[in-house]
Amino acid sequence: MEPENNSRRDFLLAGLVAAGLATGCNPKKDPFEAGANGVQASGKKVKLLSVDGDVIEVDEAFLKPVPHLPDVSNAEARIGIPGKKFVMVIDLSRCKNLKKCQSACNFAHDLNPGHNWIKVNPMKGAEHTAPYWEPTTCMHCDEPPCVKVCPVDATFKRQDGIVLIDSDRCIGCRFCMAACPYSTRVFNWGEPDLPAAVANQPYSAETSIPQKKGTVGKCDFCADMTRMGMLPHCVSACPNGTFFYGDLNEDSVTNGADTFRFSDLIKDKAGYRLMEDLGTKPSVYYLPPAGRNFPFESGLENDKTQNS
Amino acid sequence: MENSIKGEQIIQDLLPRKFKTSGRIWVGILVAICLVGVYAYYRQLRYGLVVTNMRDYVSWGIYISNFVFFVAISLVGSLITAVFRLAGVKWGAPLTRIAEMIAVGAIIFASVIIIVDMGSPERFYNLFLYGRIQSPIIWDVIVITTYFFISLLLLYYPLLPDIKILLRFKEKSGPGLHKFYSFLGSFWKGSHKQYLLSKKAINALCVAIIPVAFTIHTVTSWLFATTYRPGWDSTNFGAYFIAGAFLVGAGSVVVAMYIFRTWYHLEKYITPDHFDKMGRVLVLLCLLYLYFNVNEFLTPFFKMKESEAGYLNDLFSGSFALTFWFAILTGIILPIIILLFKSGRKPLPMFIVGIMVVVGAWFKRYLIVTPTLLHPFMPMHDVPQMYKHYFPSWEEWAISMASLAGTMLIITILCRIFPIIPIQETLDEHHETVK
Amino acid sequence: MNTMKLLNKLLAGSIAVMLLLSANKGFSQGAEKASLSITLSYFEVNNQLPHISAMVKTKVDGRFKPAAGIPLKLFLSKDSSGTVIGNIITDENGQGFAFIPPSLKSEWKSSKTHTFLATFDGNKKYESAKADLTVAKAKIEISTSDKTITAKVFQLNDTTWVPVKGVDVKFGVKRLGADLPVNETPTFTTDSTGQAAADFKRDSIPGDSKGNIVLVAKVEDNDQFGNIAVEKTVPWGAKFIPVSNFNERTLFATRDKAPIWLIIVSGGIIIAVWLTLILLVQNIFRIKKLGQETE
Repeated sequence: MEPENNSRRDFLLAGLVAAGLATGCNPKKDPFEAGANGVQASGKKVKLLSVDGDVIEVDEAFLKPVPHLPDVSNAEARIGIPGKKFVMVIDLSRCKNLKKCQSACNFAHDLNPGHNWIKVNPMKGAEHTAPYWEPTTCMHCDEPPCVKVCPVDATFKRQDGIVLIDSDRCIGCRFCMAACPYSTRVFNWGEPDLPAAVANQPYSAETSIPQKKGTVGKCDFCADMTRMGMLPHCVSACPNGTFFYGDLNEDSVTNGADTFRFSDLIKDKAGYRLMEDLGTKPSVYYLPPAGRNFPFESGLENDKTQNS
Repeated sequence: MENSIKGEQIIQDLLPRKFKTSGRIWVGILVAICLVGVYAYYRQLRYGLVVTNMRDYVSWGIYISNFVFFVAISLVGSLITAVFRLAGVKWGAPLTRIAEMIAVGAIIFASVIIIVDMGSPERFYNLFLYGRIQSPIIWDVIVITTYFFISLLLLYYPLLPDIKILLRFKEKSGPGLHKFYSFLGSFWKGSHKQYLLSKKAINALCVAIIPVAFTIHTVTSWLFATTYRPGWDSTNFGAYFIAGAFLVGAGSVVVAMYIFRTWYHLEKYITPDHFDKMGRVLVLLCLLYLYFNVNEFLTPFFKMKESEAGYLNDLFSGSFALTFWFAILTGIILPIIILLFKSGRKPLPMFIVGIMVVVGAWFKRYLIVTPTLLHPFMPMHDVPQMYKHYFPSWEEWAISMASLAGTMLIITILCRIFPIIPIQETLDEHHETVK
Repeated sequence: MNTMKLLNKLLAGSIAVMLLLSANKGFSQGAEKASLSITLSYFEVNNQLPHISAMVKTKVDGRFKPAAGIPLKLFLSKDSSGTVIGNIITDENGQGFAFIPPSLKSEWKSSKTHTFLATFDGNKKYESAKADLTVAKAKIEISTSDKTITAKVFQLNDTTWVPVKGVDVKFGVKRLGADLPVNETPTFTTDSTGQAAADFKRDSIPGDSKGNIVLVAKVEDNDQFGNIAVEKTVPWGAKFIPVSNFNERTLFATRDKAPIWLIIVSGGIIIAVWLTLILLVQNIFRIKKLGQETE
């Protein structure tokens, strides 16, 4: 955990408090604007001290470290957050296959070994081109081939661009896995090995927890985190800042430490998307491994654990 | 007078017969295979698809190969019954019942095996509650249901006159079967009006079943062709699948013809002439399928696109080469060569060719599904080693074999209950030739 | 849902820790306790509610890892019952926080600088630990004119606020998960009048439907003042109304949004074929009726 992340989180909290005071706790607004986000005032006031030493009253609901959101209903999870269009930018010049993204993702989603939603592939375009490490998540395509073929609406595209899975609906036909050209989907072939407390909780499409036997799983862009205005686990876990995440409608992406205007970043670093010719229109952009921070070989050792 | 004696003889020859010892052993073996399959499926239900050797890359295995195989075989019902009838092919009449029985058996197990392949079969009803018309799987569900229904009708309508005959032999069929026959068709009096209605219905069914049959297999091919994967991403796929389906269906009819002929001593009714003519049909279908295979493989081979190169090399000279060339040689090339000779179209060689075609076709379906999945666009990486290979587990083999045994069991039971060769049609034809 | 998940993890984690501890007891009596490092940070947004945040880490295999479930006591100025800010337990990220309660009003007002104390009494696994942080009361005032943002940093000097020189200030536009710097310079330093100014160079950055964006001026991790931030909404962005094809009828939409042509074609085929089949079944009953009539 980096100090930047620490302070950012607390800014968010404090922002909530401030806005809660200023706007009279108006709960419905832009969900990412402080004070809104679906946080309902509890009506329970707490007396606290201001900087100037005055006693002020604040609603308790706004004092949680992370705004405590009511459980998102299945219907809400299927629609997504209005006005948002989430994107990711992966800077290949920063990746040295540390796989911190992968382990953070696996931990956050209670994934079993072998069920990596994030894979870091060693890529080499042609015989005389240079190799590089390429982390892949779900591409959250704007015209997702997996969603096209789903027979029961178990996987769906939301208005904020995120493609999610309803594991309570999925029949396990695996057509989506065949349809996905990015091989991003994984299947729970057996009963996932989960602590009873996790396995017994009701499934949420936004957290993708708990994974269930006989259903498909994949990267969910941490829809629960983004709803709270926080970054996906892979983004904050990468010590090299390889992953950038943001809202295309805000034209901004951040890896926690650095924040860029999305359009400038893509223009300056010649960003591209994978397999553009297929017409899937991914939401994940890549920056070529130009001016790389690490030699390719530095990631080889770490690759052996899963691929030997 | 002589004529009616001859007629009685025909009826006696063609009535369904009780199983003898060999028949019981045959049914026993089939039931045993099915039971092993049921046990394997119980294990699969309990532990999940983890008992199979399918994993994230090869996410479809021999279940789906088998599904395609069954759908392919079931098309023969429409070929022999409908296409022959509409084309005025008279000699095909004795084969229609066999073809329809195979079609019904195969389509039933096509639906069974697709449910077996589901990771959460207990949610099958979701297909009806939440069915999405955009998904080719829903198209397949609709079309399979329709085709099954049409096949049943096409089996039932021509049975009506035969049931009237069967009802005359109460002692022979026993009280249980007799009751069943009465339920099915005691109302058939063979009156002219009834005959006309029935004939109209059969003609309508023959017209209806052809587009539905084409749709069922085209839609099945679209389960693959609507994806981007090398080897599946082909506009040729529908036609390629249909051609292959007619071939394997005709092959299976030839095999069934030979078995029923020797088993029930039907030499008078299924003649070498029938084999000769089926041989000509078969060689035509082989050539057609060969043509589509050339289309399917030559042009990508010529281009060798980067994304397809791994897959094609694997088929032509890599780890699937043996299976691939076996399927092409046994399933297409050798049958063409054998069937070109008149002696190759005699019953026994035809039987062997039929088996070759069916076995070759089964491997062909395996090759359509698996090699493609082992050549995804992205490298197979950060997964357990076993994800990068595929060989079916014993459970998969057991269930697949059980589905094949189940199909044969259905055909066996149907031919125990109903005449394999339509009696009334044979009688009518006999009367005509006598006149 | 998320809190539930965290709770579960915490629970599982603490059970694991307990098991580990009891296992340790078995064969390695008096195993050395691990030491904890506590870091305190001070936060203040829009010159309103100050709060204090604690981060607890422990060394595992030579690396610092967040320590969860650690109970800390926070005090203002001195470790006594009269100056308790609150008791906190760290979360799975090793973090906890507390606001200043009204009971400390006089204590808070009595000084222009404050020292926060955090103490941990020690338990079976960890040795006791403490940390302190001293901050001077400060505030930022933000003003905007003609696409220039000016921030003024003040420090409390007895009873009056005086400008501070040499403080690093960052200017940003509030975005998802972070603030986008208003231009290419990452930080600005205040001059003798306590002022720092930045030109806004994010022209046509999307704002809300009226073009409003939220500007932030902040002092981060300052040795003297901690973290202070001030926000201001300005109409400097581009008016932005999001467009989405979510409600369009497409092949990748939900079942209720299937393309019209697909519904018509598939529906037409299904109706035509099944009508025929129904007629053919009806035909069986007609044949049946004929048969019964002849009887």
